[in-house]
Amino acid sequence: MSEVRRRGFLWGAAAGTVGAVAGASGATAAARAGDAGPGDAGKAAGGEAAARVPFHGGHQAGILTPPQRATAFVAFDATAEGRAELTELLRTLTARCRFLTTGGTPDPVGITAPPVDSGTLGPQVTADRLTATVGVGASLFDGRYGLTDRKPRRLRAMPSFPDDDLDPDWCHGDLSLQLCAENTDTVLHALRDIARHTRGALQVRWRMDGFISPPRPSGTPRNHMGFKDGTANPDTGDARLMDRLVWAGEHSGEPGWASGGSYQVVRLIRMLVEFWDRVSITEQERMFGRGRESGAPLDGRHEFDTPRFAQDPKGDIIPLDSHIRMANPRTAHTDDQRIVRRAYNYDRGMDGNGNLDMGLLFCCYQQDLTRQFETVQKRLAGEPLVDYISPFGGGYFFALPGVRDHADWLGRALLS
Amino acid sequence: MRRLPPFFPGSQRPLLIAGAVAAAAAVAATALAGGGGSSDGRGAGASATAADGLRHTSVEVSEGGCGKGWAHPHRGKQVFDLRNTSSRAAEVYLTNPVNGSVYGEVEGLGPGTTRPLRVTLGGGSYAFRCLPDDTDAVTGPTVTVAGPARGGGPAAVPVTQQDLIPPTIAYQKWVQGRMGELVRRTDALRSAVREGDLAAARAAWLPAHLVYERMGAAYGTFGDADGAINGTTAGLSGGVRDPGFTGFHRIEYGLWHDASASSLRGAADQLDKDVRALRDSWPQQRMDPADLGLRAHEIMENTVQFELTGRTDYGSGTNLATARANLDGTRAVLDRLRPLLTSRDPGLPEIDSWLGRTRKALDAAHQGDRWTPVDRLARGRREKINAAAGALVERLADVAALTDVRRTR
Repeated sequence: MSEVRRRGFLWGAAAGTVGAVAGASGATAAARAGDAGPGDAGKAAGGEAAARVPFHGGHQAGILTPPQRATAFVAFDATAEGRAELTELLRTLTARCRFLTTGGTPDPVGITAPPVDSGTLGPQVTADRLTATVGVGASLFDGRYGLTDRKPRRLRAMPSFPDDDLDPDWCHGDLSLQLCAENTDTVLHALRDIARHTRGALQVRWRMDGFISPPRPSGTPRNHMGFKDGTANPDTGDARLMDRLVWAGEHSGEPGWASGGSYQVVRLIRMLVEFWDRVSITEQERMFGRGRESGAPLDGRHEFDTPRFAQDPKGDIIPLDSHIRMANPRTAHTDDQRIVRRAYNYDRGMDGNGNLDMGLLFCCYQQDLTRQFETVQKRLAGEPLVDYISPFGGGYFFALPGVRDHADWLGRALLS
Repeated sequence: MRRLPPFFPGSQRPLLIAGAVAAAAAVAATALAGGGGSSDGRGAGASATAADGLRHTSVEVSEGGCGKGWAHPHRGKQVFDLRNTSSRAAEVYLTNPVNGSVYGEVEGLGPGTTRPLRVTLGGGSYAFRCLPDDTDAVTGPTVTVAGPARGGGPAAVPVTQQDLIPPTIAYQKWVQGRMGELVRRTDALRSAVREGDLAAARAAWLPAHLVYERMGAAYGTFGDADGAINGTTAGLSGGVRDPGFTGFHRIEYGLWHDASASSLRGAADQLDKDVRALRDSWPQQRMDPADLGLRAHEIMENTVQFELTGRTDYGSGTNLATARANLDGTRAVLDRLRPLLTSRDPGLPEIDSWLGRTRKALDAAHQGDRWTPVDRLARGRREKINAAAGALVERLADVAALTDVRRTR
């Protein structure tokens, strides 16, 4: 068995064991058709809960993977000391993500230690289409790890945009981790496992959990404002389009190590839902540029109808300052500014005044921060919708290139 | 079944008990986590792959048939479904008969009960050891697993009550050696309060409190005295005005909330009396040897929960000084357990390393006797402290697991 016998960060190879490769010892997991390549699955058994998204590949999973229903987005600060410990951290993180996304039976530790697994998924860890997507923030490239000359060209700390009201406690981070799975318990189990195994090397800076609602009644799921959110996403099945819009590398001016990575933007956007509910339906629809019920553009009938902005130059039907028109004008000139959205709704209770504290955990991926997210964000400045939302946190990260095989690890090219 | 002695009896920190129980429950959970089909009455000797994807082997536990049924030994991760066919409950170990190390255990296996034991075996010799209640242990036949030894385990030689008596006595003596200083410094605090010198009282409070905080492993033996000497307002309906709020934190609250010296006189007198009583009774106390390993772990769990969060700050802002004292207290326990751990815990060098890193992170938070309150630490500083203490408790948990008292005969 080629198990990585590693219990956690700086735990050494001898003390305790964790099966990083569960498939070898007979994990019962079924590959969902189209998700897992041949030889990637264990015994074909089990159902939806055992479905896996392949961990290995040129790109990380969780970027183009069809969004799973539950997420936890976590920003960490690295407390590892020096380059060697950072390397150890990333190797540990890789081993845990590989195990958790594959599923399997945690290794017994006998009388030498408490159990290595929390048990919250039962005796066997099920993959449940878990993906773990790891990104690095600009602050990781400060002097601590000798990486100052390796920073992705466009990576920097997220600036405050004119309509933002950023809270420093909810911004930035050395490392980002986007965990997504079909069920909340799977996401929480993974977070708990990863936090435990990297204890000492990482501290959580902020975390936001999110969910995607089921289609109501059909089509793209809705956000807390009642509108379908993400209708106009580029076709993630179009590999050539993704090479042009999502994947960074030398072809987009990035250092060689960054090939196959992608810029990740996270924005925590509170929605002032009480205020929003006091806005007339016409005004709501004109702010978005879409019908609330159908999700269709105001000049169309069905959700996926293409708005014809050219035939409405004055914005008589779809206002010029509507969200869809400002975000994606659908011109040849703005075509390469498109982003792949992977947004989730969040709900975190109430604020101090008794108002619902909910909003959008916006996340998007792109090849070029400046050309794509920032250009769109600047264009959106002052859109009517800003009165009903309040971006208060988030950050810019660079999602690392994928882990190619069992010998590879997250950030290997960056640190080698 | 292992029974944990009450920790902090009557104290206002009940969560530590919960922690200890959770630790025990977690051990049971590992044993139980064998998947379905383990108690379906398959005959001894059956070997099959169950729903958990692992190979299962049914094995008998009894005085006459300990380990019976293990007919087809093989390497790798696997499950033994242990069935107690005798009329008494038993502990069961899977051991290396040559050196006595244990690969896995099921405690308190009741008559007629089947429970799974999950282990990973490399090539080598193994034997089940059955320890029925109230009678001598029996070792089953030695079974040889073919193939290379690598990949098996982990295993460790169990620690017995006998093993723990010398370090426990040594630790008790160490505590005894601190009692004089505890009384002396508490006296100084009391005198300052009685003289109405609040500045002197504030200066005397921390040194006295820290002597006490270094004795963390002994609290279980202190009994109710710990609640009186070092309790918080948790569980007290009246909060800081509750008559049950006494001791160091009661005085701290007053000293840092503009109380008059005369209003604190009663509390200071009582504390002084309690501390003296503790000193006087200590030579007659006997610490439970089973406590020592647990305390090596749980002192710092307490620190993480109550000090690094600022929960127990009643105004002095000295949680990090307390954390530092707790760290010293942890080292005092570990140093005495060290002879038992060197051969058993390959993580010991890392425990030492994280003790050092935690100390360094804490020491960066004070200048002389002026400590930065937790909530005024810069983010990076606070993260370093939390990270180091977090890494430390993860590893100290192994000490508690390894030094859990086990029968061997």
